Amino acid sequence: MQIIYSDVLVIGGGLAGLRAAVGTRRRGHEVIILSLVPPKRSHSAAAQGGMQASLGHGAKGAGDNEDVHFEDTVRGSDWGCDQEVARLFVHTAPQAVRELAAWGVPWNRIQAGPREVVVDGRRVRINEPDDAHGMIAARDFGGTKKWRTCYVSDGTGHAMLYAMSDQAVAASIPVHERMEALALIHENGRCHGAVVRNLVSGELSAYLARATCIATGGFGRIYQISSNAVINEGIGAAIALETGLVSLGNMEAVQFHPTTIFPAGILVTEGCRGDGGLLRDAAGHRFMPDYEPEKKELASRDVVSRRMTQHMRAGHGVKTRFGDHLWLDITLLGAAHIDAKLREVKEICQHFLGIDPARDFIPVRPAQHYSMGGIRTDAHGHARGLRGLFACGEAACWDLHGFNRLGGNSVAETVVAGMIVGETMADFVESGEGDLQVSTAVVREALAQEEAHLAGLVEGRGEEDASALMAAMQTIMTEKVAIFRRGDLLESAVEELRSLLIRSRQISLRTRRHAGNPELVTAYRVQKMLKLALCVAYGALERTESRGAHYREDFPRRDDAQWLKRTLATWPRADDTLPTLSYEALDVSRMELPPGWRGYGARDAIDHPDTSARVAEVAALRDRLAGVDRHAIQSALMPFSHLVPPPFRGRNARLGDQP
Amino acid sequence: MDQTVVRAGLPQAVPQASDIPREKLPARRAGRSRWPARLDLLQSASGLFLALFLVAHMFFVSSILISHEAFYTVARFFEGVYFLGKPYPWLVSCVVGGVLTILVLHAWLAMRKFPANFRQYRTFANHRRSLRHRDTGLWWIQLWTGFALFFLTTAHLYGMLSQPELIGPFESADRIWTGNLWPLYLLLLLTVEIHGSIGLYRLALKWGWLEGRDPAASRRRLRWAKTGMSVFFISLGLVTLLAYVQLGIAHADRAGERYVPAASTSSAD
Amino acid sequence: MTANATPRRLELRILRGTPMAPSPPQFESYFVEEAEGMTLFLALNEIRSQQAPSLQFDFVCRAGICGSCGMVIDGRPGLACRTLTRDHGSVITLAPLPVFEWLGDLSVNTGKWMRGMAERLETWIHTTGDPDRLSLEAPMEPAEAEAIYELDRCIECGCCVAGCGTARMREDFVGAIGLNKIARFRLDPRDERSDEDFFALIGDDDGVFGCMTLLGCHDVCPKGLPLQTQIAFLRRKMAAQALK
Ligand SMILES: Cc1cc2nc3c(=O)[nH]c(=O)nc-3n(C[C@H](O)[C@H](O)[C@H](O)COP(=O)(O)OP(=O)(O)OC[C@H]3O[C@@H](n4cnc5c(N)ncnc54)[C@H](O)[C@@H]3O)c2cc1C
Ligand code: HEM
Ligand code: HEM
Ligand code: SF4
Ligand code: F3S
Ligand code: FES
Repeated sequence: MQIIYSDVLVIGGGLAGLRAAVGTRRRGHEVIILSLVPPKRSHSAAAQGGMQASLGHGAKGAGDNEDVHFEDTVRGSDWGCDQEVARLFVHTAPQAVRELAAWGVPWNRIQAGPREVVVDGRRVRINEPDDAHGMIAARDFGGTKKWRTCYVSDGTGHAMLYAMSDQAVAASIPVHERMEALALIHENGRCHGAVVRNLVSGELSAYLARATCIATGGFGRIYQISSNAVINEGIGAAIALETGLVSLGNMEAVQFHPTTIFPAGILVTEGCRGDGGLLRDAAGHRFMPDYEPEKKELASRDVVSRRMTQHMRAGHGVKTRFGDHLWLDITLLGAAHIDAKLREVKEICQHFLGIDPARDFIPVRPAQHYSMGGIRTDAHGHARGLRGLFACGEAACWDLHGFNRLGGNSVAETVVAGMIVGETMADFVESGEGDLQVSTAVVREALAQEEAHLAGLVEGRGEEDASALMAAMQTIMTEKVAIFRRGDLLESAVEELRSLLIRSRQISLRTRRHAGNPELVTAYRVQKMLKLALCVAYGALERTESRGAHYREDFPRRDDAQWLKRTLATWPRADDTLPTLSYEALDVSRMELPPGWRGYGARDAIDHPDTSARVAEVAALRDRLAGVDRHAIQSALMPFSHLVPPPFRGRNARLGDQP
Repeated sequence: MDQTVVRAGLPQAVPQASDIPREKLPARRAGRSRWPARLDLLQSASGLFLALFLVAHMFFVSSILISHEAFYTVARFFEGVYFLGKPYPWLVSCVVGGVLTILVLHAWLAMRKFPANFRQYRTFANHRRSLRHRDTGLWWIQLWTGFALFFLTTAHLYGMLSQPELIGPFESADRIWTGNLWPLYLLLLLTVEIHGSIGLYRLALKWGWLEGRDPAASRRRLRWAKTGMSVFFISLGLVTLLAYVQLGIAHADRAGERYVPAASTSSAD
Repeated sequence: MTANATPRRLELRILRGTPMAPSPPQFESYFVEEAEGMTLFLALNEIRSQQAPSLQFDFVCRAGICGSCGMVIDGRPGLACRTLTRDHGSVITLAPLPVFEWLGDLSVNTGKWMRGMAERLETWIHTTGDPDRLSLEAPMEPAEAEAIYELDRCIECGCCVAGCGTARMREDFVGAIGLNKIARFRLDPRDERSDEDFFALIGDDDGVFGCMTLLGCHDVCPKGLPLQTQIAFLRRKMAAQALK
C-alpha cells in the first residue's frame, strides 16, 4: 500500500480539473491529477457546439458584452443561479477563450464580407465588418440574445481539451490514469486527500495533499438514456456526499438535451439549431413556432425538450418499435456548411444511423444531458463543509446554472472555474491553513475501511447482481424522474431506489478477484450512484414547483415565494437510505437582475415577496445612473470584483472600444 | 501494513511551456545528426536513378526487336564509337561499374529497412497477414523482390562488367540461349519490373509528388500507373527475351560467332 | 436488415487473458443475437453483463469521438463503438490493439503511450510569456484555423500505430500520430518553433525518416486524417532542413 504526497490533488482530468491543475502548478505547487481514463478521453471532449464568451465580434455579436451574457445566463437558470457567480463567470469567460486561443485552440474565425446564414428557416445575408476579419467567430445558441458561442467546427470540447491537456504535459503535471478516488480522507472538518483504487491492479493507495479538488464531471449515467459518456457516473460527487459533511446542491436540476439521436442517445449539437436547423414532427411540420413564437427552436433547452415531449405525447411523433422520436432537419444548411461546421454530426449520422444529414432528416429525442447539481461550493470553489476540499466543473454546484444551464455555458464554466479554483487552491496552500497535518492513524483507517469494503464485495455471499441493480436504477430514473415529473411517480421512484440501495448492500460477484474486475467496479459504483439518484429523486419530490429543467406537472408554476432557494442534500450516516435535505435561500434583495419572465416559456411565476421592492430599487438606481459607464452601474447594483482573483482583474477588450 | 512513501517527485521549478526561452529549445538537443535524412534522400535518389536507368535500358535492349543492326548500333554507341571513332568496351565497364556502385548503395540503404531480426520479421509477417492492406503488402513485395534482386543483378552485372565487349545481337542471344542464362533473365525481368514500378509508386507517395487537389484520387491513379508500368515493361521484356531466345536457337550452331554488321544480310534472313 | 427477418446469431471471438495470468491469451467465443443498429459497444456490453462479467474493454464516449475503444476488429484496427455488426460477417474476431501495453482482454494502455509521445515530441504550443487575456486575440486567417483543426481532429485512438508495420517492428518509431502532431504545431502560427526545432524532434529514423510509407495509418484512421500527405509534407520539409 502506498502513500503519495503532493501539494494539490486534483481528482478529474477533464477541462475543469486540468485548468485548475495548470493554474496551481504555475503558481509553483506540486500537483497530481487522477483520472479514470487518459485525460484527453474525458467527456469534455464530447462538447461539440461551443463555448460562450461575450467577445462581441462580427455582425451578429456586435453589442454583446458581460451584461448581456449575464442576463441570458440568469434568465436561462430561471433565477436559480448565484448571480455573483454568474457575474464572475461572464467577466472571466472572454479571458478563458483568449487564453485558450494563445494555447492553440483553432477557434473558427470571421471572414470579412458578405455571407449567407440560415436564420429562422430562411437564408439571409449578413455582412461581416472588415475589422472583425480573423477574429474569433461565434454561432447562435439557445437562450442567448447575441451570437456568442465560440466554436471549433463541432469539435469545440475536443480542441479545448487537447490544448489544455497539452498545457498540463508542458507543465509536467503527472496524471495518474486509470485511478479512481473511492473515498475522501478527512478529519475534524479538514480534507487531506483521497483513497484511490488502481483500476488495473486493484490496489489501493492514499493520496495526501494540502488541497484536494474534485472535478469529476457529471453523473448522467444514473439515467438509462443519456448523452453522457459511460464513465460519467458521478463518483466524485458521491464520495463528497459520503463524508456526511459536504452537501450536494440542487441535485434535482437535471438537464435534458433536445437532440440526441434515436435510439442510441448520442448527442447532436445545439449548434445544429443554432446554425439554422429546424425541428419537425411525423408530418414534417415545424412545430416549435406553435409553442414558442419568440425563440422557436432556440428557446432554452428545458423549454425545447419539454415542448418536444409534449408534442410527441400529443401523438405527433414518429412511431417505431423502440418508441417515438421527432426529426431534426439540417438539410437546409447545405452540404458545404455541414462538411465544414458540423463534421462530427455528419460522422455520427453516417456511422450510427447510416444517413447523410445533408439529405435526410435526423431522428432525435430528448435525453438526459447535464447535471446542474453537484458539490456545493462558494464563489471561490471551496466546498461547503470541508476545509481544503474544492470542486469545479460539472461536478460542482458553484451555481452558475441554477435550474437550467445554457448551451455553451458549461465548457466555459469548466475553464473559468478551473482558472478561479486554481488560484484559490494556490492561495490556500500558501496560507497557514494549507499545512498538511494528518495523523497516520486517520490515513490507515481510511484505507482499511475501503479495503474491508472491497473485500466484502469480492468475497460477498449475497444474491444481488450489480449490473441488474444498475439497470433497474437507470430505468427508474428515465421513467420516473425525467422531463415531466409528478408527485406520485417521484414517490414511487424514491421508494424503489431506496429498496435498490438496501439490496445493493447484498451484492455478490461472479468474478472473485481484485485486479482487472469490471464487475467489482460496477458493484461499488452502483452503491454510490444509488445515493446520487436518491438525492435527485427525493429533491425533485420535495420541490413542489417548476423551475428551469425541474418541471412538475402537478406544480407547473415557478414559485419564488416558496422555492427561491437551493436544495442541499447531505448523507450524514452511512446506513441512511435517504439524503437529508435542507435549503439555502437566495437573497432577492441583492440580485442584480430580480426575478421576472425569462423571455420564453411560461409567464405565470408566483412572485417572491421581496421581488417588487428589488425591481423598484434596481430601476431607481439605473435611472439615477443613466448615462454613466455600464461598469459603474453594474458595480452599484451588485459588486463582484472582490471575487475575481488578481490575475483576472481588468476589463475585457472589445473591437469597438474607445481607446 | 507496510507503507512506502512516494513523493510526487517534481523539482520546485519545473520550466513551463511558455517559460522556456525559444533559443534554448534546439540547444538542448543540439547536434541531432543529419545523416538519417541524407540517407533517406540517397535511398530514394538511388532508387529513382535505377528505375529511370532501367526504363532506358529496357528500350535499348529491346532495340533488337527493330533489327539486329539497331541493337548493334546501340551497343557500339555505348562503347563510344560515335565520339571516339572506335569502340572502347571498357567504357561500358565503367558505366556498369557506376551502376553497380549505385545498386550496391541502394541495396545497402534499403537493407536498413529490412526487419532487423527474426522477431521483427515475424511481427511484420503477422501484421501483414491480418491487416490485409494493399500498400503494406506492396512493401512486402518490395522487400522480397529487393532481396532476390540482390543476387540476380549481381549475376547479370558481373557478366556485363567482365565481358563488356560481348554485347551484340549474336553475343547476347548466345549468352541467353546457349549460355543458359534465360531463366536468370526471366526472373530478373519479373522481379526488377515489379520492384521498380512499385518503387516509383511508393516514391511518389513518400515525397508527396503528384498529389494534386485530391490526394486520394491521385493515389488511385498512381496505382494504375504502377500496374500499367509493370505490365508494359514485362511484356516488352518478354517479347524481347523471346526474340533473343529465337535468335539464340537459330544461332546455336554458330554460338560464339560475333555479329558483324556488314555481314548482316547473311544472318538476318 | 428488415424488422421481421430472423436476427443473426453472432459469434464474437474475443482474445481473452491477462498479462499476469500463467496461461497465454486465447480466443473464446461468445454468442449474441444481433439487434437492429447493433454496435460492438452494445454487443460487448451485453456479453459482459450476461456471460462474461470479467471481460475487460474500454469505452468512454461510445460515440466515436474519444478514442478509447480502438481494437483489432477482424484484423483491422478500428473504433469498436461505432462499428456496426451488420457491416461484418456473423463471426467477428476481436483482439486488443498491438504495440500498446496490454492490460487484459481487449484493454490496452494507449494513454501511457500517448503521454510519452507528447513529452517526447513536445506537443504543445511553444510561446514565450503568459497569454495576454484582456487584450483582443491575435487575428488568424479563417482558412488557416480550419487547416489546423483538420489536423487537430486526431483522437489519439492509436489505430494508426497499430495499423503501421513500422511501428510494430520498431518500438521507438513515433508513428503517424506523432508526425501528424508535429505537422499540426508546425502549421500553427502561434507556435514559435522553427523547422530546425522540429527537425530535432523528428529528423531521424525514429521520426519521419523511419516511416516506410506503408499507409496503413492513413487507411485505418477513423477520423480520416490526411496522414499520407502530412507525412510526405514533413518529409520534404525535414529533408530540406537537413540539406541546409
Ligand atoms: C455530448 C455532450 C455535448 C456537450 N456539448 C457542450 C457544448 O457544446 N458546450 C458546452 O458548454 N457544454 C457542453 N457539454 C457539457 C460539457 O461538455 C461538460 O459539462 C464539461 O465538459 C464537463 O467537464 P468536467 O471537466 O467538469 O468533467 P469531465 O470532462 O467529464 O471530466 C471528468 C474527469 O474526472 C475523472 N473522474 C471521474 N470520476 C473520477 C474518480 N472517481 N476518480 C478519479 N477521476 C475521476 C474522469 O476520468 C475525467 O477525467 C456537453 C456534454 C455532453 C455530454
Ligand atoms: C540489390 C538489389 C536491390 C535491393 C536489395 C533493393 C531493396 C529495396 C528495398 C527493401 C526497398 C524499400 C525501401 C523502403 O521502403 O524504404 C527499395 C526501394 C526502392 N527500390 Fe530497390 N532494391 C534493389 C534494387 C533495385 C533496382 C535495381 C531498382 C531499379 C529499378 C530499385 C528501385 C527502387 C526504388 C525506386 C525504390 C523506392 C525508393 C524509396 O522508397 O526511397 N531497387 N529497394
Ligand atoms: C550498365 C549496366 C548494364 C548493362 C550494360 C546491361 C546490358 C544488358 C544487355 C546487353 C542485355 C541483353 C542481354 C545480354 O546481353 O545479356 C541486358 C538484359 C537485361 N538487363 Fe541489363 N544491363 C545493365 C544493367 C542492368 C540492371 C541494373 C538491371 C536491373 C536490375 C538489368 C536488367 C536486365 C534485364 C531484366 C534484362 C533482360 C531484358 C529482357 O528480357 O528484355 N540490367 N542487359
Ligand atoms: S491519427 Fe487517426 S488513427 Fe491515429 S491516433 Fe489520431 S485519430 Fe487515431
Ligand atoms: S503506416 Fe507507418 S510506415 Fe509510415 S505511412 Fe503510416 S506511419
Ligand atoms: S468509446 Fe469513444 S471512440 Fe469509441
